[in-house]
Amino acid sequence: MRGPLPVRSRQTAPSWLAQRRLLLMPLLLVAPSVLLVAAFFVAPLGYFLLRSVDNSEVPLALPKASGALQRWDGSGDVPALVFEALAGDLRALADSPALSQLARRLNHSQPGFRSLITRSAARLPAVAPGAGWRAAFVAVDERWGEPVWMQVLRAESGRWTPSYYLAAVDLRLGEGGRLEQVSTEQAVFRTLFVRTFVISATVTALCLMLGFPVALLMARATPGVANIVLMLVLIPFWTSLLVRSTAWVILLQNQGVINQSLIGLGLLEKPMPLIFNRFGLYVAMVHVLLPFMILPLYSVLKGIPENLTRAAASLGAPPWAAFVRIYLPQTVPGVVAGSSLVFVLALGYYITPALVGGPRDQMIGYFIAYFTNSAINWGMAAALGTLLLSAVVLIYAAIGATIGFGSLKVR
Amino acid sequence: MRTVSKLVGGLALAMLVASAAAQDKVLTVLNAGGASADSERKSFYVPFTASSGVKIVEESFNQELAKIRAQVETGRSKWDVTTLTAINEATACEEGLLEKIDWARLLDPKLFAGVGGFGRCGVPYLFVSGGIAYDGDKLKDGPRTWADFWDVKRFPGKRGMLYRAEQTFEVALMADGVEPAKVMDVLAAPGGVERALKKLEELKPHIQWWKSGAESMTLLASGEVVMTYAWNGRVASANKTNNRNFRMALGAGHVSGSQYLAIPKGTQNRAEAIRFIQFAAAPPPQAALAREINYAPANAAAYAQLTATEKATLPGEFMDRASLQRGSRYISFWVDNGDVLLQRFVRFAAQ
Repeated sequence: MRGPLPVRSRQTAPSWLAQRRLLLMPLLLVAPSVLLVAAFFVAPLGYFLLRSVDNSEVPLALPKASGALQRWDGSGDVPALVFEALAGDLRALADSPALSQLARRLNHSQPGFRSLITRSAARLPAVAPGAGWRAAFVAVDERWGEPVWMQVLRAESGRWTPSYYLAAVDLRLGEGGRLEQVSTEQAVFRTLFVRTFVISATVTALCLMLGFPVALLMARATPGVANIVLMLVLIPFWTSLLVRSTAWVILLQNQGVINQSLIGLGLLEKPMPLIFNRFGLYVAMVHVLLPFMILPLYSVLKGIPENLTRAAASLGAPPWAAFVRIYLPQTVPGVVAGSSLVFVLALGYYITPALVGGPRDQMIGYFIAYFTNSAINWGMAAALGTLLLSAVVLIYAAIGATIGFGSLKVR
Repeated sequence: MRTVSKLVGGLALAMLVASAAAQDKVLTVLNAGGASADSERKSFYVPFTASSGVKIVEESFNQELAKIRAQVETGRSKWDVTTLTAINEATACEEGLLEKIDWARLLDPKLFAGVGGFGRCGVPYLFVSGGIAYDGDKLKDGPRTWADFWDVKRFPGKRGMLYRAEQTFEVALMADGVEPAKVMDVLAAPGGVERALKKLEELKPHIQWWKSGAESMTLLASGEVVMTYAWNGRVASANKTNNRNFRMALGAGHVSGSQYLAIPKGTQNRAEAIRFIQFAAAPPPQAALAREINYAPANAAAYAQLTATEKATLPGEFMDRASLQRGSRYISFWVDNGDVLLQRFVRFAAQ
């Protein structure tokens, strides 16, 4: 609402009260939806963002050792005090769920930590042996003799941790806190991010190329024809994503309808690989996402007055010039709305790539789902998700800066 | 006479009340959906409800421990019984997400020793075997060893394999000549993973990766792959419901493990949940389940109730050819290294 609020002419009540009431009414009306968004979108999102840097599990489970580790500079021999503190903490944790949570948490940072922690907690003696705690730890598991475990523990002993974000871009904290690349055979996430963006951008471009003519036809055709086309767009839109993805497998596989017909007609000798590769993925994803391009485009195209193009023609513009110089600029809001919708939806895809893509076509969503559901590594899932979200926000900001959000207003 | 009729009336009323009370009891049981849900319904849920009056409500669960954690953290789990894989049973139990129950006092441990015994929280209820499957109608003289699976000259065509490090690495080592019983030792030793990846590299151009059991059967049925790694229950149910002639070469070596029934912590129906698990672990329901889905029963006594034909599709005679998914070596290796190995595997598969 812009400008001064309309104030009723009746001035019996103090005017500030009337003004307040006028302000309050709309606020009350929108309150339910604001609360809904806050409770089910903003709060979980904030919690999720926090999970990506939260490290409270370690200092809470290992209060003494965290303190001792913070005082160690991370180089040279591990101070005996650290081993003593860790022994005390582990004894306090013995057999509690917190122990295995700690073990799982540390295993995310350094594979093998889980068994190291659980074994040590179960087998360490209750009192310090003559040779000291360090020797006792090494006697339980000789891995304690290597400095790397305590260095990881030291890096993870603070309240917050950067390690999930580092891991999400294939980096890790090396000796002395320097950043280093993870081993090449393990580095997957950067490739996956790039691939996710390439696939999403390609799908968006394909959707625009295929969707624009359909939206144009719907906007220009008689209502009867437009309705039929609209139904043809909507019926697949209402069909389950799984069904549509699987249907493409049946159509495109080597023994599928298309390949077998082509072979039957003598056009092919052996089946052409149409599915379980990037081509199949594009076909299925474009099919699933096309309505999200067509519908916003259609709503914008429908609102463009036809007489502007006619006016251009009457002023001597050839049809092509009238279309490109007069009509097309007016479609930009629809193109931007449809493209950003398709792009953002495509970024999160992982079921369709799993069903119709090959091993080179898996997207970042596969790992987000894996870390959330199977590995219960929510910090990692949160870091990957947050990076994806930030990339989307950046892209939106870029769109806003170049085209301007003003053009996106609803007609 | 009057007292007798009063007594009878009272008794009838008491029975009515008792049965109504029992009928009010509802257990929420998680299962994997699809064919496994159908078979568990027929062999566990329906007979249990018939004998105890306790109703069973099913919910679908795909081993997302996060969901159980979320339930347990509320303090009142609305789930009473869940199915779990060996790794998840051990992990969830260790993390305090499951009720710890001394099953050896309620069931005979000897009968479950063959499949790995009781977990600290759960009871094995079926024994899943993953091995070579092929279409007997298309291949008269099918593969017998993992070396045959790797032999693309003798058996041209794609091979279906599980898009996961776990199980696939074990199979690769068997193909590389490691005895099934020794596979986990070799894999966990230094250089084991590299050896498995090297062997997979040989077959990689011919591999069609699948992610769900249903997918493995679709690939085999359509002829998209000439043979595939598959779980025996999926193969059997494809044979029954789609009238297929899929065969398994379990003698080649198989990756096998128990599935467990366990009770999420904080359930309101602990006693009924225990009764349900005891019921499901007894020989008749165990045999019924094996008949339904062709996974082997976990209770050894159930084999006696199966016919020779029914037993022929189970790994029974090839138990010595199993790489067992049990024990601390297996669980430690996969839980410690699962994330990293999946990353390595995904990278390997995409190269």
